[in-house]
Amino acid sequence: MASTRVNHRVGRILAMAGKEVLHIRRDIRTLYLALAMPVVMLVLFGFGISFDVDHLELAVVDQDRTDLSRELVRQVTASQEFVVVQDGTSPDEAVGALRKGTAMSVLLIKKGFAEDVKRGGAQVQLLVDGADGNSATQALAKAQALVEMAGRKLGGPVRVAAPPLEARVRTLFNPDARSAMFLVPGLAAYLLAIVAVLITALTVAREWERGSMEQLFATPVGRLEIVVGKLLPYLGIGLLQVLLVLTVGAWVFDVPVRGSLVALSLGSVLFLVGMLGQGLLISVVTRNQVVATQVATMTSVLPSMLLSGFIFPIENLPTPLKLISTLIPARYYVATLRGVLLRGNGLDVLWPQLVALALFAALMLVVATRRFQRRLD
Amino acid sequence: MSTRPEVDVSLEDVRRAFGAAQALKGVSLAVHTGEVYGLVGPDGAGKTTAIRLMAGLLLPDAGHVRMLGEDPANTRSSVRESLGLVPQRNTLYGDLSVDENLRFFSRLFGLSKQDFAERRERLLDITRLGRFTDRRADALSGGMYKKLALACALLHRPRVLLLDEPTNGVDPVSRRELWELLYGLVHEGMTLLVSTPYMDEAARCHRVGLLYSGELIAEGDPRELARQHGAAANNFEAVFLALVEKRDGGRAA
Repeated sequence: MASTRVNHRVGRILAMAGKEVLHIRRDIRTLYLALAMPVVMLVLFGFGISFDVDHLELAVVDQDRTDLSRELVRQVTASQEFVVVQDGTSPDEAVGALRKGTAMSVLLIKKGFAEDVKRGGAQVQLLVDGADGNSATQALAKAQALVEMAGRKLGGPVRVAAPPLEARVRTLFNPDARSAMFLVPGLAAYLLAIVAVLITALTVAREWERGSMEQLFATPVGRLEIVVGKLLPYLGIGLLQVLLVLTVGAWVFDVPVRGSLVALSLGSVLFLVGMLGQGLLISVVTRNQVVATQVATMTSVLPSMLLSGFIFPIENLPTPLKLISTLIPARYYVATLRGVLLRGNGLDVLWPQLVALALFAALMLVVATRRFQRRLD
Repeated sequence: MSTRPEVDVSLEDVRRAFGAAQALKGVSLAVHTGEVYGLVGPDGAGKTTAIRLMAGLLLPDAGHVRMLGEDPANTRSSVRESLGLVPQRNTLYGDLSVDENLRFFSRLFGLSKQDFAERRERLLDITRLGRFTDRRADALSGGMYKKLALACALLHRPRVLLLDEPTNGVDPVSRRELWELLYGLVHEGMTLLVSTPYMDEAARCHRVGLLYSGELIAEGDPRELARQHGAAANNFEAVFLALVEKRDGGRAA
């Protein structure tokens, strides 16, 4: 008797899921939104959003005009990270170029540079446009490294005029400091959050709008069966999205998978269930596709971008936003992805993130199911 | 010895409001086993609210609703396994074909493959939808769509069938076909409650309840009601107008 009841329940869940698959197959826009959009956006964002600094415009003020000073400029610009846009100008003209924005940095080689190199120590001065803080910081670091490397090749230490303390820094997990390595995991979480919440919110709200909920409620199907049946196909699509995004990340951006696949799978399932539950809750409350889209955007797109650590480090957020970010599941998924992909972490390290994702998923499903009454009022 | 007829559906002094609007103002009625009960009234009379209450889709503000002896709003109740509903709106899945809609609802009602195959064949036969099984529901004509909705509601052989304005927007030929179909179901022992704004359809019912502005202003055999008001049996509109006049006039006095 009990097993018959369970069989009927499973049958109804599968019926709901099968119907949803038919809807998805018939509506190419949903499939595009679900599969193509994350990949297209990943590629566009991955190439578009980059904190890497390259081809920096450099104004050279070479007051020494010796073979060694010219060789230094050649060495510094050889990698194309700096490109000479002005050469042989006076210091005033070079600073003017900085002001106008035609140059991002100025390399000042004072007279006597070659002799200083031969004596065993020379200094050059680097001026950087600080209006773009990120580029300025990276330009300074790159210039320091390039000048010091060039100095070794020239036969004597050459330093960018700097404070007496020098820190020797080594970056782990992303030694080349490539933005893609940092961004792709964050971007993956962000895109999955949008798509999962949006699609679920839309599909369930559509049932209310076109009245099919009335027909469903007149059948023996239970609300949990409706919820699970409707979410199952989107969970499958979501997991397919994760695979696609990771494949594109590895193939296009060389983002590795160094850590535990179990942690990755578990984190992905929990995150997706939470996001699908959030979408369901939105649709249950709004019962309207337009409003559901707006609410889904407000509650998934913005927080997943701004408060997940995807772009802005959570440590740098003001305390109130930092507290709010603890409620954003994307924060934990971004941390899980970066942990697994870049740091090679496993369950032993990532369990707090997974517990947070599990709690959010459970909360969303319970609240959504409770709010989802089998009535039209 | 006369036996008291068994009641399948009942409303007892049921009230239901939507905000400030009173949709039902203390309605009591009973639908007997095996009869066609017509809930007749103009738009906004409260017919859809009454049917939704009977199907457990709404809760009453006051009063009691019983369906086959149970509270239909109780989610643990098994009443839905014995209830069929054809809502007023087009609530099937328009992007699914006739066959896919039938299959989906058969699975929700837990029909075995064999049962489904048998009932599908019979329902397609009586609704004459056999030639359109691959057609999407939203590509069907109004009459065919209603027949599909009826077929979906009949798959599990319900004891009670609630139909909310099934002939609304349906051409006269399809209307007649639908009514023939419904009589066929009653002959099989099914209880039917049909709401309609068309007074001429009242004559097709065994008993009618005239709903006006949330109140049941008359109930009984349509031929008997017509006789009481001196109208021809097929002119139920005159009966309804006389009752409305009497009710509104009485209130004004």
